[in-house]
Amino acid sequence: MGMKKKLLSAALCAAMVGTMMAPAFTVQAADDTLVYWSMWEATEPQGKVIQEAVDAFTKETGVKVDLQFKGRTGNREALQPALDGGTQIDIFDEDIDRVNTMYADYLLDLEDLAKETGYEETANAGLMAACRDAGGGTLKTIPYQPNVFAFFYNKDLFEQAGIEKEPTTWAEFLDVCQKLKDAGITPMTMDDAYATSVIGYHLARLVGEERVVEIVKKGEWDDPAVLQMAQDIEELASKGYYSEMVGSNVWPAGQNTELALGTAAMYLNGSWLPNEVKDMAGPDFKWGCFAYPELENGANGIETNNFGAQVFGINKDSKMAKEAFDLITYITKGEYDKKLADESVGIPSDTTNSEWPEMVACAKPVIEQSTARFTWAAGVETNVDMTPVIKENFIKLMAGSLTADEFVAAMQEAAK
Amino acid sequence: MKKNKTMIIAFLTPAVILFLGIFLYPIIRTVIMSFFTIEGVTDPMSKWTFSGIDNYVKLFNTSLFRTSFYNLFRIWLIGGLIVMTLSLLFAAILTSGIRFKKFFRAVIYMPNIVSAVALATMWLQYVYSPRFGLLKNFFEALHLDELAKIQWLDNDHKFMALLIAYCFGMVGYHMLIWTSGIERISPEFYEAATIDGANKVQQFRYMTLPLLKGVFKTNLTMWTVSSVGFFVWSQLFSTVTADTQTITPYVYMYMQIFGGGNTVTERNSGLGAAIGVVLSVCVVLVFTVCNKVLKDDDLEF
Repeated sequence: MGMKKKLLSAALCAAMVGTMMAPAFTVQAADDTLVYWSMWEATEPQGKVIQEAVDAFTKETGVKVDLQFKGRTGNREALQPALDGGTQIDIFDEDIDRVNTMYADYLLDLEDLAKETGYEETANAGLMAACRDAGGGTLKTIPYQPNVFAFFYNKDLFEQAGIEKEPTTWAEFLDVCQKLKDAGITPMTMDDAYATSVIGYHLARLVGEERVVEIVKKGEWDDPAVLQMAQDIEELASKGYYSEMVGSNVWPAGQNTELALGTAAMYLNGSWLPNEVKDMAGPDFKWGCFAYPELENGANGIETNNFGAQVFGINKDSKMAKEAFDLITYITKGEYDKKLADESVGIPSDTTNSEWPEMVACAKPVIEQSTARFTWAAGVETNVDMTPVIKENFIKLMAGSLTADEFVAAMQEAAK
Repeated sequence: MKKNKTMIIAFLTPAVILFLGIFLYPIIRTVIMSFFTIEGVTDPMSKWTFSGIDNYVKLFNTSLFRTSFYNLFRIWLIGGLIVMTLSLLFAAILTSGIRFKKFFRAVIYMPNIVSAVALATMWLQYVYSPRFGLLKNFFEALHLDELAKIQWLDNDHKFMALLIAYCFGMVGYHMLIWTSGIERISPEFYEAATIDGANKVQQFRYMTLPLLKGVFKTNLTMWTVSSVGFFVWSQLFSTVTADTQTITPYVYMYMQIFGGGNTVTERNSGLGAAIGVVLSVCVVLVFTVCNKVLKDDDLEF
């Protein structure tokens, strides 16, 4: 009897421990199933279209797909640990720079697969080049949902102020601002979340992204370009070209309550903007777009822009790489590429889908003229220890509560 | 007796194994990690580089980390005073036999069941809005134009704005803990005190407060633990990139482990681990000091 009891309790213990530990070891999918960790949420337009595409793909090819919507932060936090832990993930996606650097060691080289299938014949050459560049000279990722960071503006307000031409130089830009101001329109607004993109773009136009990274990483704020940039922004602020709310706008207050509602005319942002504010802007809102203007004696001009894309990567340990590539092609070409662009008011990646959704069509010339690339905020956010300080002082500069000299002094002090 | 021992071992084993696996192992690993430079949080040990106490030295030499710690301290101290005072006051009022007690209790507790995202959006885009905000309209109606003009979310006011919004949500939770403590005190004591001629304020000061020492300790510990983990509100008040007024050590830790903002930045999970260790030490310190100062075993009721 005693023995039996002991055995029983031991067995119960084992069962208890077993059931508690079990979930950790049962995440592997079946061998014939592709696993795709998606950066989207199931409820987003992109998530919905991708779900549709995946279902159609399975129906057509018989390849089963385990599609898991993880969201942006979900992938960012859990993808690498999962890959390290040996979880089967064949396809994953995220921003072009993040996938090509953070997840570089997990990526399969896609040059051969792309060549075999003639993928590039209908792919955007600039983006493919950007992917190769980010991948260290070889193609490790496939871009989709391209985007460009530029000035987006309200065409009706430009018309109202009598502006006929989009500015390409700083002088023209100042002129545009003045005309808007004279017409009683707030020329520009900004939100805290994107303020660093303004300083990044302006500094990089002057000295190039590489130098911007040096300045923020080594704390070389005594570079004359910093003062030049600060003086340019101070001029915008002192002439009243920025909205009065610019010092306290917490995203999305500026883009929603000022730009979309028509009280401010311009806003520096990504081409995802028209989609984000479409419900507030209404169907009659006419979008315009131009690249960050060229600066006098600057290192680059309107041909260099912060453009990028989300990219797909395939796990180098995937046993179904070919099928994975086929699925990526299925999503990024033809019918579903078009649908993805239409539903998300995004930019198609298949060059044969030449008709862009109306709201973002204005960004087409900017993308087409872009031959060189800035990364996010032109590198000004590369030093995490400084980003919040840059953000604080730059917002104060835009709001007019700091002068150019005070800005430079504050940055030098902070970098000590 | 011998039989019992086996049974004890048998039934304790799962708990012990789970405790060791889920609590002790991560703690030890985190402490060890804090002495290494590690890029990815799950990198194998072969990729770790030993760096001694460099992570700790770097932390305290980084002004942004000191800023984040200062913010945390302000949240803990100022927020703590506000939340503890208000919640105790509400608890005292609610237990004093007022009408509609359940209704008020529900109203005060309500923010706790609303998602922080929704609450923060309400504060950010409505209450504090300089265009059509609640505060703006309120002060305008009172003809306090100087106050109405304040931009609550600019750098000078953002911390206070964050703190008020956060405390608003926390009062209800701590009020419940106080209430349960007050309700544990037998009504007979109060009856006796009333007969002896003590008024409500005196009863509160000389009976309720001393008897709530233990509950205060609980409240303070809970407050400290939740403050140390201050993250979501900070993220909501500064999307994409962190902000000098709202950054807390957890946000800084996140930036070090997963990268900050949209740019791909250098990561060091070892530094993140060091932050975790420093914060744990802080909680233990507060708890220890609290235990030393407030001995709740001298009163029995």
